[in-house]
Amino acid sequence: MADHVAGGVPERFVPRTTDARNAGETAILAGRRRGPSVAFWGMAMLIASEVTLFGTFIGTYYYLRFENAHWPPPGTPEPRVVVPLIMVGILATTSLPMQLAAGAAQRGRVSSARAFLVWALAVQCGYLAWAIHDYVDQLHVSTPQDNAYSSIYYVLLGADHAHVAIGVLLVAWLVWKLARGLTMYRLNATQAVAWYWHAVNLLTLVVIGVLLSATI
Amino acid sequence: MWQSRPGVLGWVMTTDHKRIGLLYFWTTLVLFAAGGAEALLMRTQLARPNQHVVGPATYDELFTMHGLTMIFFFIIPMTTGAFGNYLLPLMVGARDMAFPRMNALSYWVFLASGIFVYTSLFIGQAPNAGWFDYVPLANVKFDPGHAIDFYCLGIIFNGISSSLTAGNFIVTILKMRTPGMSFNRMPLFCFAFLAASWGLLFALPSLTADTLFLFLDRNIGTHFFDVAKGGSTLLWQHLFWIFGHPEVYILIVPAFGIATEIIPAFTQRRVVAFPLVAVAELLVVFIGFGVWAHHMFATGMPTVTVVFFAAATGVVVIPSTIQVFAWCMTFITGNARFKTPLLFIAGFIFMFVAGGLTGIMFLAVPFDQQVTDTYFVIAHFHYIIFGAAVFPIFGGMYFWFPKVTGRLYYELPGQISFWIIFVGTNLLFFPMHIVGLEGMPRRNYTYPGGLGWGTSNLLETIGSYLTTIGIIVLIVNLVVSYFRGAVAGPDPWHGATLEWTISSPPPEYNFAVLPKVSSAYPNWDYEDRAEDRRKLAEGVMVLEQGHEQPVSSPIDGWWAEIVEMPHDSPWPILLALAMSICFVLLLLHLWMGFCFALAGIVLVLLGWHGEEPQESVA
Repeated sequence: MADHVAGGVPERFVPRTTDARNAGETAILAGRRRGPSVAFWGMAMLIASEVTLFGTFIGTYYYLRFENAHWPPPGTPEPRVVVPLIMVGILATTSLPMQLAAGAAQRGRVSSARAFLVWALAVQCGYLAWAIHDYVDQLHVSTPQDNAYSSIYYVLLGADHAHVAIGVLLVAWLVWKLARGLTMYRLNATQAVAWYWHAVNLLTLVVIGVLLSATI
Repeated sequence: MWQSRPGVLGWVMTTDHKRIGLLYFWTTLVLFAAGGAEALLMRTQLARPNQHVVGPATYDELFTMHGLTMIFFFIIPMTTGAFGNYLLPLMVGARDMAFPRMNALSYWVFLASGIFVYTSLFIGQAPNAGWFDYVPLANVKFDPGHAIDFYCLGIIFNGISSSLTAGNFIVTILKMRTPGMSFNRMPLFCFAFLAASWGLLFALPSLTADTLFLFLDRNIGTHFFDVAKGGSTLLWQHLFWIFGHPEVYILIVPAFGIATEIIPAFTQRRVVAFPLVAVAELLVVFIGFGVWAHHMFATGMPTVTVVFFAAATGVVVIPSTIQVFAWCMTFITGNARFKTPLLFIAGFIFMFVAGGLTGIMFLAVPFDQQVTDTYFVIAHFHYIIFGAAVFPIFGGMYFWFPKVTGRLYYELPGQISFWIIFVGTNLLFFPMHIVGLEGMPRRNYTYPGGLGWGTSNLLETIGSYLTTIGIIVLIVNLVVSYFRGAVAGPDPWHGATLEWTISSPPPEYNFAVLPKVSSAYPNWDYEDRAEDRRKLAEGVMVLEQGHEQPVSSPIDGWWAEIVEMPHDSPWPILLALAMSICFVLLLLHLWMGFCFALAGIVLVLLGWHGEEPQESVA
């Protein structure tokens, strides 16, 4: 009796999620499956949607800029350059531990995956704390109600911080989940969240770059 | 194999794409009735000059709610939500969507957003600045109260649902096709839904941003649309139409998909120029993203901008034309049986060509500026939206009725309903061209006598009632058939795609044995179907442990893995509830409460991810 063969692969060689009951089996199955998981594709859709949203925000920023003779308008302070650049640079380095965590999980090394996640989480939390503090600080000097420049400035920056905050929650959740061992589900989650962070880091770099372009 | 949970709880907690499709179907029908009632009220008001059936304020609310309802709460959820959900997994040979719980969430969020928006009508604060809601009219200065806030939040809320659905469809089409169904063996219906889903995914963020800006302007005091403080009123229009024009294709491309299923079934012929039609379906959405500013020719944009968008508008006609030619050639070279579904498709092609021809006229910029905001525009886009989107929906209702219910509809009343609707819509919309050219402006609650508009308007009103009668005949036919129709069997039309290979209505798990697919018309590959039956009898290739579902590679359709899908879940409806609370609190300016509700969402999500699918397998 022949197996159902498609693309040269008989059905009995196809990895079954339910066969993975511990970290070792998960790693073996993860190595045998073809291509990224469905969860990865779901994350790709989310990223596509969020990148488009930020694209719209950035488009709005430049549209308003070209409508205005002075940018930022007189009386509104220019954004600070050095500290945000350093901070966003530090945040961008977390792509490394996130990718390492995804790779470690793929090979079934749960504890090292968790260690990488904790490393990333510490940096991300630090960035978020600074970001919130800085945001509130700036609100004392200018507010979104001042003019169109401040409006888009605070919305763009706030939207980016919100994405960092969601990412922090996701990584914290992963650290907690992986404490109870590795399954295919958690492996997929780790890899998808790693991609979320690559996207958020890139978005943050672009957003800070766009906001700092007002100083040029 | 698995069974659905019985009773009401089974429907509330369901993750079955077929049940979710039916929930979408019934909900959108109710909202369609609401939108239709609004249209009838408007037509009654306009039947004679100087009438006062409704006042100007009510009339504003009527046309705004009519537009909102028909676009966001009828056509999108009917095509993607109902038809897409029910049929797409069946056509690609899958057992469910890629993300079944997210699919349920889409439905509950959609229902909640519908209730949210319609609440405004019942408390007398319905949106009243037109469905495209231009600023400064929609600013808080000229439109105080909650009407526009309902609009902004309702659109964002509804957009979440549509984005989730779109992402779900794309991943389902790319990853959940049955192993062996490579991209070139995928039915045209799926290409159409792929195109529409990409359109939704990339178009909605623009509308979300736009309505967010307006909400902030109205409630926080930002200045996005305030010219005095450096904002721009044209910004609203750009962002709205960057969404709004792809939106037109999002509405009609799924209808193209329905047409490309019905035509082969009733001509017993493969669609002419399959690859060209597939590419055209994708291209029409892609090019549709580059034509938005043709809605804004009357706003005084630079000439170079106007000319660019006029040219782009000409280009977008090409893929549409390719499809029309392919459909017509399939008709001519096939053996057409004009049963009710095919009649609706023939009517659709007629209406689409008529609406398309008036559409091309708008790229002549002086002509566009002449007829902007007249009934000519109304005539054009109703030919497109009613003719090209709703006709295939009606055709599809008849076509898949036997599959969904297991019974046949009555043929003669079906054909009668088509002719009533066809005559009714043409009577309703054609005279609008004439009064539009004569200068009758849209959005006015009445018009003076003695301008020669009276007869045309009376005909339009008669047409609107005729159309309503036709739709009632259609609904009554389907309801009676549901109870008394002849038993249909699995394949009454000798259809081409995989949904006709299984029983009517399909079982919970769709396919007992993974179907073998070697062309885009798998039900006509008799050897493959015979092999499926043999495998089922011998128990080969039956995935029977829990909710198992194969996943394949995106292009070639190779085996990638076998995953365990989630069971029934209470979390989607709970999450939708938590989100509704968020939106209500935003509307009421209860910011602290909103933060608590966000925390509630996080808790619900924790619960959602608490149980992993493979843990539930005994």
